[in-house]
Amino acid sequence: MKEINETLLKECAHNLMFDMKEEEYQTLLNEFHIVQEQLSMIGEIDGLDQEEPMTFPFDCAISYLREDEEKENLTREEALKNAKDVFAGQIKLPKVVG
Amino acid sequence: MYLDKTIVELHNLLVKKEVTPYELAQEAIENAKNDSNNAFETICEQEALDFAKTLIEPEKDNLFWGIPYVAKDNYSTKGILTTGSSDILKDYVPVFDATVIKKLKEKKAVLIGKTTLDELAMGGSGTTSHKGKTYNPYDKTHTYIIGGSSCGSAASLASGIVPFALGSDTGDSVRKPASYAGLVGFKPTWGRISRYGLFPFAPSLDHVAYFTRSVEDAAIALEILQGHDELDMTSSLKEQCNYFKDLNKDIKGMKIAYIKEIVESVKDKVIIEQFEKTLNILKELGAEVNQVSMDKKLLTAIFGTYYVISCAEATSNNANLDGIKFGLREGNEKTYQEVMFKARTKGFGEFIKRRFIIGSYSLFKENQEELFLRAQKARRKIVNEINKILQNYDLIYLPALGSVRNPFESNVDKLEPNYLIAENHLAIANFAGLPSLTLPIGIDKDFPFGANFLGRAFEEQKVFNVAYALESKLEFKNITAKKVNG
Repeated sequence: MKEINETLLKECAHNLMFDMKEEEYQTLLNEFHIVQEQLSMIGEIDGLDQEEPMTFPFDCAISYLREDEEKENLTREEALKNAKDVFAGQIKLPKVVG
Repeated sequence: MYLDKTIVELHNLLVKKEVTPYELAQEAIENAKNDSNNAFETICEQEALDFAKTLIEPEKDNLFWGIPYVAKDNYSTKGILTTGSSDILKDYVPVFDATVIKKLKEKKAVLIGKTTLDELAMGGSGTTSHKGKTYNPYDKTHTYIIGGSSCGSAASLASGIVPFALGSDTGDSVRKPASYAGLVGFKPTWGRISRYGLFPFAPSLDHVAYFTRSVEDAAIALEILQGHDELDMTSSLKEQCNYFKDLNKDIKGMKIAYIKEIVESVKDKVIIEQFEKTLNILKELGAEVNQVSMDKKLLTAIFGTYYVISCAEATSNNANLDGIKFGLREGNEKTYQEVMFKARTKGFGEFIKRRFIIGSYSLFKENQEELFLRAQKARRKIVNEINKILQNYDLIYLPALGSVRNPFESNVDKLEPNYLIAENHLAIANFAGLPSLTLPIGIDKDFPFGANFLGRAFEEQKVFNVAYALESKLEFKNITAKKVNG
């Protein structure tokens, strides 16, 4: 497993597109050993590796083709209602190409 | 004053026209405004009164007609602020209703307000909302937690503001605060209620869940909230049931198991004593009650398993909170990456950032096999063991938590096996997707505490029936902090 240190925690945070204060990284680093111990208890279960990973409680996902009927959708106005910067009916972001 | 009554009692008064929906809404809003437990994000005064005013002729067969209720602030409510108790959504106003909100509206229940939660439902203490701690109405000293994440909804019921509150339950977020707040806390089978419009946290574990102050009310609520929804592909096509009509106290011959290792992990003796009394009551009612055993290694691994799976799922489910389509956006950014980075840095609290990092850590290529996949395998093994017990028993019955009270400033050893088992076993119901109900069974020094029933998939009726039978033999139906502590 990857070794835990402050650099790794920062890498995780930045991959997740946020930052924390220096002291918050320190707190997390200090607490990580408890989390690791808690997680290590999983490894103590006998015969674990013979099990199949469980992703959902049961296989009940529904899949079917809907009838091709027109349904009520969001209007453009509604879809843009919560965006902070809107221009010409579209969400405006900083330029990607100069 | 009416709102310390149950839904059934209020319905009878509404039908007799002894009170109107408008008067009930007024009382609930007044109660909410006087709340001293930090239970509310938003009080929908105008919307509630305007809607209640339209309710004139009582609907005798509709038990939710004119009943005031509150919803946890992670349910989308059209035109009403919905924050998830997070700064990243502090001014987000949804443009659609969650399916359960829509169903309650169709039944003419009156939404009074949106309640506080641990930020984005990730937490169990009721302390990480952007509005700070939510308090337990049973504790005027504000020393002990009410539990979370559905803290504001629990506080609203325990203080008699409304008789019904929507919460959500990913690990125990309704059934745990139900124990600390003397309430019925219920989550059905995974798939029984549509989750469309509920902010996703960890979809393989998330459930719509709710609080009532009686088992009857819990059965009524499931009757109207159940059913398949084409907007939620994980909602089940199983036939719908008449949970209230079929409520029955006759539990003769019902087979109930309790798990020795979980009972032994409970710290507070008063819980054990009262739990044993209730075992005797269940036997007197004709149930067959037996002790069963489970591997302690599996039970101590519940928390780690839950933590890895929920944090990993949360990491991807909250990726849409980017400050672009909705949510916090500072302005003057140079790149779109900066828009996201600033929104998420400023918008998320420290506690959930930590959870996201742990989730991300467990998903690193080098760690996936060791952490994420192993947690998923442990989940399978725990669920298999529980389902083995449920092959021979109708229900599993256990103390809900290990302690009656839990202070905000806790020095508990988080690696101690008994703590890990007693305070986290309710997550088994989320791993397995099974129906689970917490019922108040005792009061110790003015604080209530509960026990929990766990049933087979889609056998909610049995869970309700046994809880209904036990409730009728105890004195904790429809308690509030005021009734208990004055």
